[in-house]
Amino acid sequence: MTGATSLLGRHVAQQLLARGDEVTCFQRHPSAVESAEVLGDIRDADQVTAVMKGHDAVIHLAALVAPQPRYDQAYAVNVTGTINVALAARSAGRMVYVSSPSVAFAHAPAVGVGALPPTYTGRDVYTRTKALAEIAALRSGVGATVVVRPHLVWGPGDTQLLGRVAERARAGRLVLPDGGRALVDTTYVSDAAASLVSALDRTGDDSTTWGQAYVVTGGEPRPLGELIRLFLAAMDINSSPRSWPAPLVKLLGGIVDRAWWGSEPPITSFAAQQLSMAHWFDQGETRRALRWAPSMGLEGGLAQLRSATRNGSATT
Amino acid sequence: MAPSRGTVVCVHGNPTWGYLWKNVLTTLSSQWRVIAVDQTGMGYSERGRPRRLGERIDDLVNFCRQEVSGNLVLAAHDWGGAVAVGAMGQLDVDALALSNTAVSKPEHVAVPPLIAFSRSLSSVVCQLTPGFVWGAAAMTNRQHRAALRAPYRGSRRRRAVRDFVADIPVRSSDPSFMSLVGVATVFDTSRVPTVLLWGGRDLVFHHRFLSDLRRRRPEARVERLENAAHLAPLDDAWAVRFEEWLNSDNSTSEASSPGASLLQPVIDRAGDESSVYVGPDGTVSWRELALRSARAAGALRSAKIRPGDRVAVLTPPSADLLVTAVAIWRCGAIPVVADASGGLRQLRRLLRASGCCAVVGTRRTLAANYVGRLTKAPVRFSMTQLDRGVPSNEEIASTSGSDVVAIVHTSGATGPAKAVRYTHDALVAQRSAVQGLVQLGDHEAFTTSFAAFVLLAPVLGVSCVRPDIDIDKPSTLGFDELLATTTLASVRAAWLSPAAAERLVATAQGRKLPVDRVLLAGAPISAELANAVSSVVSGEVLAPYGMTECLPITDGTLPTVVGPRGGTSTGRVLPGVQLRIAALLDDRDLTASGEWGEIWVAAPWMSDGYDGRDLSLAGSFVRVDGVRFHRTGDVGYLDGGLLFHLGRRAHVIATAHGAVASVEVEGPVAAALGRRVAAVAVGPIGAQLICVVVEGASLGVADVAMTDAVRHASARSIAAVVTSPLPVDHRHQSKIDRTRLSRSVSDFLAGR
Repeated sequence: MTGATSLLGRHVAQQLLARGDEVTCFQRHPSAVESAEVLGDIRDADQVTAVMKGHDAVIHLAALVAPQPRYDQAYAVNVTGTINVALAARSAGRMVYVSSPSVAFAHAPAVGVGALPPTYTGRDVYTRTKALAEIAALRSGVGATVVVRPHLVWGPGDTQLLGRVAERARAGRLVLPDGGRALVDTTYVSDAAASLVSALDRTGDDSTTWGQAYVVTGGEPRPLGELIRLFLAAMDINSSPRSWPAPLVKLLGGIVDRAWWGSEPPITSFAAQQLSMAHWFDQGETRRALRWAPSMGLEGGLAQLRSATRNGSATT
Repeated sequence: MAPSRGTVVCVHGNPTWGYLWKNVLTTLSSQWRVIAVDQTGMGYSERGRPRRLGERIDDLVNFCRQEVSGNLVLAAHDWGGAVAVGAMGQLDVDALALSNTAVSKPEHVAVPPLIAFSRSLSSVVCQLTPGFVWGAAAMTNRQHRAALRAPYRGSRRRRAVRDFVADIPVRSSDPSFMSLVGVATVFDTSRVPTVLLWGGRDLVFHHRFLSDLRRRRPEARVERLENAAHLAPLDDAWAVRFEEWLNSDNSTSEASSPGASLLQPVIDRAGDESSVYVGPDGTVSWRELALRSARAAGALRSAKIRPGDRVAVLTPPSADLLVTAVAIWRCGAIPVVADASGGLRQLRRLLRASGCCAVVGTRRTLAANYVGRLTKAPVRFSMTQLDRGVPSNEEIASTSGSDVVAIVHTSGATGPAKAVRYTHDALVAQRSAVQGLVQLGDHEAFTTSFAAFVLLAPVLGVSCVRPDIDIDKPSTLGFDELLATTTLASVRAAWLSPAAAERLVATAQGRKLPVDRVLLAGAPISAELANAVSSVVSGEVLAPYGMTECLPITDGTLPTVVGPRGGTSTGRVLPGVQLRIAALLDDRDLTASGEWGEIWVAAPWMSDGYDGRDLSLAGSFVRVDGVRFHRTGDVGYLDGGLLFHLGRRAHVIATAHGAVASVEVEGPVAAALGRRVAAVAVGPIGAQLICVVVEGASLGVADVAMTDAVRHASARSIAAVVTSPLPVDHRHQSKIDRTRLSRSVSDFLAGR
């Protein structure tokens, strides 16, 4: 598997190991996972081909998720890297490609939809390259490829979503458009990992899932403001987000898109849209096809987050 | 002359004996063979071991089989009624007369205090002392007392009196309870012509017991003897009325056949000076109604209005409306009773669908008809023109059977407004069904917050008092306005919309409305509201279920009962109604399963269909196994014989885990919050989320405390808790339009 240094990658590797699979992790930097490990770069096709030898399947998680990367860098990792992995997977025969629901984002709320085609061609570099990568994975790879799009994965130790929310809330800089009224679904990290393990099994035993994409979420949408409140409470952060009118936030996002030169902009128009619009998904087909259902859910996940907060490991 | 018509068997109660029927024997014996039995152990019959209700029924059955051939009429009084009705199940009985009796203990009615007292001390009161016998005998004229007491001298001879009292089933564990349940079933399902000759001043079997019997058999004839007490058969008038009834057609024809004309009360009471309508616009007596409607019918006829023609009635609820409708019926034409509350565009659509050839209205509504081009009718009448008509010599046009006789517009509170057609048979059947609910005597009156119900008065043969409010704004009807109506006539019943009921409660200030019953209709009635109304009304509160297409469907008793799946209780399904609970997704019949589904109804008083060709209404009436059902669009379930209402089919939330009725979610949440709430669906069918909307000033996400309270109160997974003003229908101002609310909340939560 690639990308084991991420929160989700670590959980997937641990679940695979726990059930007795032999796992080789392939990434640039050492991971904390206790498994066979090969350090390398997915941008290098030869390295990828070499490491794939002797394996039955690959789970491809690695991606560049910096907030505002340069397009060529993102393309090299997300698209070229995925093509390399997909071509190399031909020797293995089975692949799970981890995508994102935002690849189908159409500048409109997603209300109880399924996995729509990856048609995003907007300004967000990460999402644009991930959309191309999903197409590439299905075109270049083996027949037994399943695409999984986990939605807003969170859990203790999450430096991406929860880390940024915590940091901004502590600084009093957390702003939600319209108070965060949009219904948003999220996925607790171990549930998301379990869905990837299930998808891996389906590449072996259920050809109806091959070539399909599945959005994976916890299936418990909440208004964004309520979610943030629950997260902050679980992390013992006594701060409430400020509410700005959504049009204002979108306007600012548009200005930042054009005028911000730093590495981490405070807001982008893509983020403004994502935060002000609903995104939750019909999970019926996903759960039936992957034969998976979340076991932790929102409540279970928050309990984990609370105990991690007591241990001081919530966002590290 | 030898008695020729048959045998009348009279069954006394406790602690009387055959003497009770003294007057019946003398009055009827010229034409009938009259037998007044003494029940075993009572009167002058032999004493023996105690007999239970079931054995007494068997005794009577055996007696009648041996002694009677030919026509058999049963007359019974007090607990003899239960014995006679029970025996009727096994005998071929031609007619039944009951006096001050019961076939079950009505819900909410205490055991008569005299009996409760006697039961608790049965030995002392009934046997050791002559107290019970003396007490009963005291309820009649002095001249009968000694005779009534005569067979019960000495405690040994009173043994059966005590046993009889002890056998009266009060709890389900009592030995004769099942026998009494069987008696009630025989009564409910019997088609035997029945007269209830009731003593009005009875403290034992009082009017509540009469109400119970009338509800079970709405078609039964009721004769009240206002001055008679418990031992009514000893009253001089009882036997006379009994004979009159036996000689009338009622006792011989099939009681349920609707032969009676719609206008029978108007014809019968054409000389009656008492008022049929009292309202802010004036009073109309039965005589005036007959006179004015004859004139107006003459005017209509001279304008070539013929039987079967449709006449748009744009007259607001008033004396003029009564005159107009009756006049149209006299011509054999069809009144189209318009409802303008949905706006002119809707009214135009409905009126044009009916193809009216004449319009009747006030100057104002006729102007609206002209300006708004509501109808293309060439003939227009104002009330003044109608009143100038000359009564013609033509007889009242006879309508019958499946002729359409009325078209009534619905308000469009649930779904599109419709023009509902009624046939003659349906309206006549509805008359009995409604009479069974309101239970009004000829000189009693009802008041109502429903505009069209004014028209029921001449059909039912009772009076109507219109409260002094704008009848299109039912929520302005408060306690004082209702109380005022009771001073204008003998108002015994009030038929109110939920909004009016809420205002009644809010404005009562500790007073009680002096009516026998309040009927709540128009929208589901919560147990809380039913309880609150009970506390401000001196009589009973009923919440019968029904809609313009089929009214009533249930008897509305027990509105405060909470069902196992939530929702509101609408009472027992009325005799004559066929009810079906249909699965939402397929054709399965869930009626017996206790599961919930769409409510389908069929009844003799059901509408014949809709006017116009609105495709969205196709499928509102469906035929199953030869029975035409109305699909109500409501969902509900049966439990313990009660029909529970779970809201509208369109308001069912189709979640990934199955269908959820919005009411199921709302009940516990509303109870916990003490505020009005609505559960609405967000998202596509099959993946819908449940969102709870709490009534509030503006649309917004609920605060932390409220969100937590709602989630805590509900067993279901709630996606979001928002506050919003709740859109309600313009007519009843109580039906929350969850479809509209669902749209606005969906947009809000989507970030649109």
